[in-house]
Amino acid sequence: MDSQAASSMSDFSDKDRKELQQFIENEQQKSKFQTNVHNLTDMCWSKCMTSKITGTAIDKGENSCLENCVNRFIDSQKTIVKQLDHMGGRA
Amino acid sequence: MQTIQHETNVENARMLIEKINEKCFEKCIPKPGSSLSSGESLCLTNCMQKYMAAWNTVSAAYITRIKSDPAL
Repeated sequence: MDSQAASSMSDFSDKDRKELQQFIENEQQKSKFQTNVHNLTDMCWSKCMTSKITGTAIDKGENSCLENCVNRFIDSQKTIVKQLDHMGGRA
Repeated sequence: MQTIQHETNVENARMLIEKINEKCFEKCIPKPGSSLSSGESLCLTNCMQKYMAAWNTVSAAYITRIKSDPAL
């Protein structure tokens, strides 16, 4: 935000400012979520879609592979953070 | 506010297109020839649909996980 936009923030009422802040927080969260989904889809596509593409539908095996991929990635992340914690490092 | 929302959506779409292009090119055009064959075109069309379906599956699984795991 440039200084001109920042100074004009003071022209808003408290209620408006709070509302705007909430809106921006929501958008940031949405954007972060979408970025995470893009990265997960990228990784899990490489791991799960190994056969030739013959149609547009995801079969049962691919579907469960994708779901497992998402969950195991989060498990890995949690395990690594926990390990780092034990090492006394800051994660 | 609409501008911000619009920007978020545009960025999301841009990212999706970039990923589809990368993944489907890799999958459908293993050996680039002098032009796209009809088979390669068909593969790209299918792959695109399939990638979006995969995105939705991953998104749903991620949401389920976030909801069931309060630590996240």
